[in-house]
Amino acid sequence: MSKYDAIIIGGGHNGLVCASYLSKKGCKILILEKNENLGGLVNCASSLNGFSSKILDDLKIDLPKLNYNSYVVALHSDQQHTILQENNNKINFIKSNASGENQKKFSSLINKYKIYASTLSNFMYEVPPRLKSGNSKDTWQLINMGWKIRKLGKKNMREFLRVIGLNIADELEDNLSDNNLMGLLAHEAILGSNLGPRSPGSILSLLYRQAIQNGLFASEKYDFHQLIPSLEKICHNQGVEIKNNASVKKIITTNNQASGVILDNEEKIDAGIIISNADPKTTYFDLLGTEPLDTDFIRRAKNIRTKGNIAKLTITLKENPIIQNIDKEKMNAKFIYAPDINYIERAFNASKYNKYNENLCFEFHHCVNVIVANIYYVPHVKNNTHNKERLIQHSINLLKPFISNLEIEKAELLTPNEIEEKYNVTGGHWHHGDFEIDQMLMMRPFYGSAQYTTPIKNLYLCSAGTHPGGGITGINGRNAAKKIMRDKK
Amino acid sequence: MSQTNISYKQPLLETPFHEKTREKCYAHDWYRWAGYKAVNQYTSTELEYTSMRNTAGVVDISPMHKYSVKGKDAKKFINKLITRDITNIQPHQVVYALWCNEDGFVVDDGTIFCFDENNFRICSGERNLNWFEDTAIGFDVTIEDISHSIAALAFQGPLSCKILHMLNANNIENLKPFCFDQFTINNQEITISRTGFSGDLGYELWCEPLQAHDVWDALFSFNKNYKILAAGLDALEMVRVEAGFIVVNADLMAAEHALRPNRMRTPYELGLAWMVNLDKEFFTGKEALIKQKNKGVEKKLIGLDVQGDKPALGSVLYNESKNEAIGIVTAAMWSPSLKSNIAMGYVDKQFMKLGSKVLAEIYHLEELEYRKIWAQCKVVKKQFITLERRNAVPALI
Repeated sequence: MSKYDAIIIGGGHNGLVCASYLSKKGCKILILEKNENLGGLVNCASSLNGFSSKILDDLKIDLPKLNYNSYVVALHSDQQHTILQENNNKINFIKSNASGENQKKFSSLINKYKIYASTLSNFMYEVPPRLKSGNSKDTWQLINMGWKIRKLGKKNMREFLRVIGLNIADELEDNLSDNNLMGLLAHEAILGSNLGPRSPGSILSLLYRQAIQNGLFASEKYDFHQLIPSLEKICHNQGVEIKNNASVKKIITTNNQASGVILDNEEKIDAGIIISNADPKTTYFDLLGTEPLDTDFIRRAKNIRTKGNIAKLTITLKENPIIQNIDKEKMNAKFIYAPDINYIERAFNASKYNKYNENLCFEFHHCVNVIVANIYYVPHVKNNTHNKERLIQHSINLLKPFISNLEIEKAELLTPNEIEEKYNVTGGHWHHGDFEIDQMLMMRPFYGSAQYTTPIKNLYLCSAGTHPGGGITGINGRNAAKKIMRDKK
Repeated sequence: MSQTNISYKQPLLETPFHEKTREKCYAHDWYRWAGYKAVNQYTSTELEYTSMRNTAGVVDISPMHKYSVKGKDAKKFINKLITRDITNIQPHQVVYALWCNEDGFVVDDGTIFCFDENNFRICSGERNLNWFEDTAIGFDVTIEDISHSIAALAFQGPLSCKILHMLNANNIENLKPFCFDQFTINNQEITISRTGFSGDLGYELWCEPLQAHDVWDALFSFNKNYKILAAGLDALEMVRVEAGFIVVNADLMAAEHALRPNRMRTPYELGLAWMVNLDKEFFTGKEALIKQKNKGVEKKLIGLDVQGDKPALGSVLYNESKNEAIGIVTAAMWSPSLKSNIAMGYVDKQFMKLGSKVLAEIYHLEELEYRKIWAQCKVVKKQFITLERRNAVPALI
C-alpha cells in the first residue's frame, strides 16, 4: 500500500484548493511543488478579485476585506483620462470626455453583458457534461444548460447567441463613438487571451471573464497576500504533506493506469491517484509522455491555443508616482492604456507573426513606489529570442508620458517565455489556454480530456486548463476534487 | 527527379519510367495518381490482365507514397501506429499493416519494410505524413517523405521469378514471400521484395530514378519468347479483386477523408481481424477495437459469387424477399480466371455467414437502355483465388 491516496503535481492555488477539499474528506494527500514557494502563477497575478467566495466559505477562509474605492482609469495620451468607479457591480462615470449618450450606451452594454455573464456563471461550479457518452445524466445536464440560456427570454437569448460568436470591435463600433471607452472594453475582452479586438469570439471571452471573476473590472475585494498562506494552513491542519523544490519528472503508468511519480532526483513515490495541476500540454507531453495516448488525442492536445502574450514589468521608483490629472486618492486605481481599438489591433497583428510593435498596451497597479504592469502584446517566441533590454526600455517609454516623475531605481521584466520557464506553464499563458468557444466548458481543455479526467485511469487534471478556466478562482481545484470523490464512490 | 513540386499550375508529374510507359501506351489512357500521370490501360485491359496471370505484367507503381522512418524509436513508433505487432520483425522482412484512429477506424493500409531496428520504410496508398508526424510526437524518429526519390515497378505473374532468374538475380527463387533483398539486374543494384497486389507469384522492384530505364529494359529483354506486358491500373484492379485485397477510398473511406462518421470502417468490419493484435501494450485505437470486438460488427466486407455474367458494379444488395436493402457492392468484375462473376461488398450482420444468400440489383446498360437484373449472390470468402505458386519456395523458375 502506498502512503498517499493522491499526489497533486503543482502547488498552485488550484492544487491547494483541490488538496483542501480532498483532505477534508479524509484523503491522504501529497503536494509536490517545483518551486520554493507555493502559489505558482498567483505570485504573478496582480489581482485576486476573482477568487471564488463560495470556496472561501466552504473552506472557512477568512481573508481580510479591503475597503477599496475601486477606480478604473483609462489613460489617454492628451492626459484627459476617463475615470470610472465600479461599486457593487455598478459602474459610475467619475470623469469622462465621452458624450452623455455614449456614457448611457456604455452602461447599457455593460448591463447587457452582466445578464449574459450571470447565465454563464451558472455553469462554473458544475463538472461539464461529457459529449457523445450516451449517458442520460450527461444529456440531461446539456438540456439543463440549454434551458438556462433559454430562460434569458426570447429576445435576450437571441442577442446572446448573436454576440457569442462576434468580435468586440464590431459590437463597440455599432454602439459607441468614444475611442477611450471602446479601448477600455476591448482591453477587458482580450486581456490574457491571444485575441485582438477584431478576433471572432472576443465578446464571449469578455463574458466568460465576467462570469468567473464576478464583475467586469478586477476590483480588489480581499487582501490576497493572505490567500496562499491560508490555503497552506488548511492543508497542514488536514494532514496534507507538502514538498517544495520537488520537481516531477514523469508520471508512472502501469496498464493504462497512473500509479505514481518519479521526481527529478529519481525518487519514486506511489499513490492511487495522480492529480496534475500542470497545464494540459505539460501534463501530457512532458509528465506523462505520448506513448499511451491515441494519435487524435495528441493532435488535439498539441493544437490547444496556449500562446501567451503578456509580459510582467515591475519597476521600483525613487518616489511615489504622480499622474497628471489624477488625485492622490485615486492613485490606487487600475490604470489601463488601450487608447483605441485600432491601436490594440495593430499591436496584436504584429504579435501574430511573433514580432512586436513598439506601441503596446498595458495595465498597471501601483503600491507606494512600486508599479506592477502587464504589458501586451509581447509574444511568446520560440527559443526565447527576446531582446530584454530593448523590451524594458520600450515598456518604460510607454509609461513615461503618464508618470511625470518617472525616475527608476529598478526595473524587472518577465517575458512570456520566462513565465513559462518559471511556473511551468506552456506558452506562458495566464489561463493555460485561450477562452474561446472551442476551448470552453465540455471542450476545455479539449474533447476527450474534459471533465478533469484523462485517458489514463486515476490521472486527473485540476489546473486552469480545465473548466471553468484561468483567472485565479480556485474553482478548477474544487470541481476536480468533486469529480474525484464521485469517481471514488 | 528534379520536379517534385505538385501544383495545380503545372501539368501532372511524370514517373521515372514515363518515357518507357508512354512508348507502350497506345491507348493514351492516363489516370491521375498522387500528382503523377499513371497508365490506366496500355492497349487492352483484358490482355494486360492475362499477362499478369499467365506470363508476367509490369506495373509502374512509382507514384505510391513512401516514407522513411529512421531513429532510435522507429520500431516503437511503428508499433504504436499499426494494429499488428512487429516486435519480432527481422531485417529484410515486409509486413502488411493497417493503422487506425482513436475510434478504431482505418486511416490507411500499407507495407512496412524493415531495413534494421532503426530504419523502416512505409509504403501506402494515401498521404500519411501528417498522421505519422503527429503519431511520432514524443518518439525519437525522423520521418521523411521519399515518394519522389524511389522508382518502383510491380512485376507480377507466374514467369516473374523465371525472368528475374534469367536476369541473374542471384538466388531470387529462394526469396520468401514478404521478404526483400538487394539484387543486381542489368548492372544495377536494386531492391526486390516478394510482395504484390495480384495474389500471384510476384515481386516489387525498388530503385533509384536514374536506374529506372535500365531496369525496365531488362525486364522486357526476353520478350521474344516470353511476351510479358506492361499493365495498367485497370488490369491491376482486376487481379486485386480476384485476390480479395482491399483498396482504401474504394472499398472503405479513409478515416481522415470521410466526412460522415458512419462511412468509416474498422478492421473487424473489413474482415481483417487477424491483423489486430489486442495483446500489444498500446496502439492508437486499441480501446475502441477491444470494445468493437466484444460487441461484434454490424456489417462486414465479404466476397460475393454473383449469378450471371453482368458485373454487379455499384449494386445495392437486398434480402431474398427484395424488401430491404442490406448492403452495397464496392468492387465487381467478371473474373476470366475463375470464369465467374465476382464482387466484394458490405452486408448486414445476418448475412455475414459464408453461404448466405442475397440479391444484387444490377442495372446493366445495353445500347442506351438499362436492363435491371436481380442476380442471386452467395456470400463467399473475399479471397476468390488462391494460387499455390504465390507462396511456393523455391519459386517457380
